[in-house]
Amino acid sequence: MIVLGLAKKLREAGILGLNRRNASYIMGWNPRSAFPLVDDKVLTRAVAEKYGVPTPPIFLVVENHGQIAGIEETLGGRREFVLKPARGSGGSGIILVVDRGKEGFVSQSGEVYSREEFAYQISDILSGIHSLGGQEDRAILQALVHPDPVFAAVTYQGVPDIRIISYRGVPIMAMVRLPTRASDGKANLHRGAIGAGIDISKGETITAVHRAEVISHHPDTGNPVSGIQVPFWDKMLLMAARAMEMTGLGYLGMDLVIDREHGPFLLELNARPGLAIQIANRKGLWGRLDQVDRAPREIFSSPESRVEWAVNTFRS
Amino acid sequence: MKKPAFWLAFSLFLFTGALLFYRVLFLGYPLLPAAPGQTWAVSIDLYVETGEEGAKVALGLPVEQTGRMVVEERISAGAQSIDIHREGPNRIGIWSVPGKQDERLVNFKTTVHVRPGRVGGDGGPPPRSDPPPNGGEEQALAERLVAGWKNLPLPLRIKAIAATTTGKWVDPPPGNLEIQAWTAVRERLGRELALRVLFYAGGLSSRSVSGLLLANSVVRTPLRWIEIWDGQKWERLRPDSGEFWDPKVALLPLIYGDRQAVRVVGGELREVRYVISREPISGWRLYFEQIRRSERFLDRWSLFRLPEDFQRTFRILLLVPIGALMISALRNLIGFPTFGIFMPVLMALSFRNTGLDYGLGIFFGILLLGYAVRRALDKLRLLLVPRMSVLLTLVIGCFTILALVGGKIGLREFMAVGLLPFVILTMVIERFFVLVEEAGAAAGTRTALGSALVSVITYFIISWEPLQLTFFLYPELMAAVTALQILVGQYSGYRLMELFRFRKLVGS
Repeated sequence: MIVLGLAKKLREAGILGLNRRNASYIMGWNPRSAFPLVDDKVLTRAVAEKYGVPTPPIFLVVENHGQIAGIEETLGGRREFVLKPARGSGGSGIILVVDRGKEGFVSQSGEVYSREEFAYQISDILSGIHSLGGQEDRAILQALVHPDPVFAAVTYQGVPDIRIISYRGVPIMAMVRLPTRASDGKANLHRGAIGAGIDISKGETITAVHRAEVISHHPDTGNPVSGIQVPFWDKMLLMAARAMEMTGLGYLGMDLVIDREHGPFLLELNARPGLAIQIANRKGLWGRLDQVDRAPREIFSSPESRVEWAVNTFRS
Repeated sequence: MKKPAFWLAFSLFLFTGALLFYRVLFLGYPLLPAAPGQTWAVSIDLYVETGEEGAKVALGLPVEQTGRMVVEERISAGAQSIDIHREGPNRIGIWSVPGKQDERLVNFKTTVHVRPGRVGGDGGPPPRSDPPPNGGEEQALAERLVAGWKNLPLPLRIKAIAATTTGKWVDPPPGNLEIQAWTAVRERLGRELALRVLFYAGGLSSRSVSGLLLANSVVRTPLRWIEIWDGQKWERLRPDSGEFWDPKVALLPLIYGDRQAVRVVGGELREVRYVISREPISGWRLYFEQIRRSERFLDRWSLFRLPEDFQRTFRILLLVPIGALMISALRNLIGFPTFGIFMPVLMALSFRNTGLDYGLGIFFGILLLGYAVRRALDKLRLLLVPRMSVLLTLVIGCFTILALVGGKIGLREFMAVGLLPFVILTMVIERFFVLVEEAGAAAGTRTALGSALVSVITYFIISWEPLQLTFFLYPELMAAVTALQILVGQYSGYRLMELFRFRKLVGS
């Protein structure tokens, strides 16, 4: 009885469960053929460029073990970059390199990788350790993002990233993931990063969740996490709205970072975005998905009109 | 609910239901195939002295009814053909014994499966129309004797009349003179007939039965008892003592009425011998015998027609979909973490060889050792495929050592370790390591324990013999399992775990 009562309450609050997300939204709106596009960052960048959605520049795509030796030559004078698997997920296999010298590569957390160790990391990526299905993969050397100072007071190392979920091209919910000491500087909620909901209409952080607890201050820096105005908010909403035309996916999560100099970059797309965003916003996705389904037909004509409708509709 | 999925599931249920219905109603399959019971072999030896032109033997045979099934019947010696026909409630086998003025042995063997206490009422009593053959004088006396009990409920009336055979007359008793007169009548008619006259007078349906008490024994004359209809079932009364047979006692009727169980025409019956013995046959053999003899389409296509070695495989295989259904339900209805779908099923299959405790012990032992080795390997920087190969070799190395140790100390469970799914174990080690690295030791342990638990539950399901027998007899049940899988697959409500995950959002 408690179970049924709880289920009823969640339904009334419009909370989305995994089964319904999979059956009604992912299977209903995300054609399988579009998945490779979002699973491979090289392909994502190529299509994003076409639609005018900025992504961090890629210096080099390593396709086979033979190329590993020539990496430093290609990097030339660049001392900092990011090493990533093209088809990785959940941030695994990513190394942020902030300097490089005689001993090898220095990561952001201060770890030093000898050239041999670094080559091993790349060959791991190539053999598909971090890739979604275990298939062979490519390694990307990408420009390092210097995060905008807006979240500096509530970030422990690492790069905070912003997740926007859009449905049928309408941005419906957003959050920012703030790294903590517990998450080892990674913007990953499972590892202990903070998730702070963002008001779609104003672009301001609202509530925040750390592990299962609702919090108001960052556990490491002690600064308040709510009430932060996210810069470039309208631009980011528009980027999220364009993702539908870009990928053909009706239900997706877009991860963005804000660069100090270049503004927002699209980092990666996710065709099966998780449900934790509901906890960060203390709001159900299902209710908003329903609102989109009931929206007037005209708003779907352009990304701009969809964003306008979302900004007017989703006020927290 | 999505309509097409619902209709598909519904038609699968319908298909299963229709086939089950057909088998039970028209092919005589049991409704509960795994119900307990006993199987008895009755061998009837008849020594017949034939007349001038041979003899004819008529033998009362067991009748099939609810709770009683004739598994096998055959003439073993003496005659070639038997002609079986029904006469009222009886089944009579008639055959000719050739020969001229000599003694012949005829042997008939029948195997019956009975569930004592579950034998049905075979359609209720015959109308109270056959008064025992006796004169009107006794009948009138009998009427007066039972007059006082006419208003008793049926079971009590039966008990009151039964008691008279030992001279006990319950309240209100008839007069002494009448009792004395009845004692004389009983002397003349015999106890059995006297009782039946009284039952008739008391408005009850009764019948005499010749049959056998199913117990390991050799019997020369069949047992006789009286069956009285108490409104729901036949009560079985021993006419000599006035006691009732307990419903749990297995009696096998051979012939109803006043006829003899064996009659010989045109010759003489020298001797009859009933050899009754309990057969330790399993439900498997029971249906095997029955289905092998049948020429019905569904029986010819029964799994029982496979060679026995292959049957064994299918007993287990047919239950694996239930395991998969359970895993689907655990994942999508509850949100229970396991290492994939197939790992628990394959583990459960291998536990059948290693045993549950050894199987689980070996699983966790190898998982822990594998984890330690995997951690060490991480420092060696091996590429993915070679690294997995090392783990695979480690797993098989562990198997080899365990099997050798098992061989030395004579532990069969260790020697059977080779049947554990080594590929799956290797993959579990790798996934366990990655899970511990990415989500922490707690999540890894939870998933490992979850997988083990599901393996154990699956093991119990596939090892449950009544269920094996049921699915083997009715493989169409798999369609019903598929229907349930479809229903689970279209469930888009919350998982049980999500209720707890999101409960804070609704403030409870």
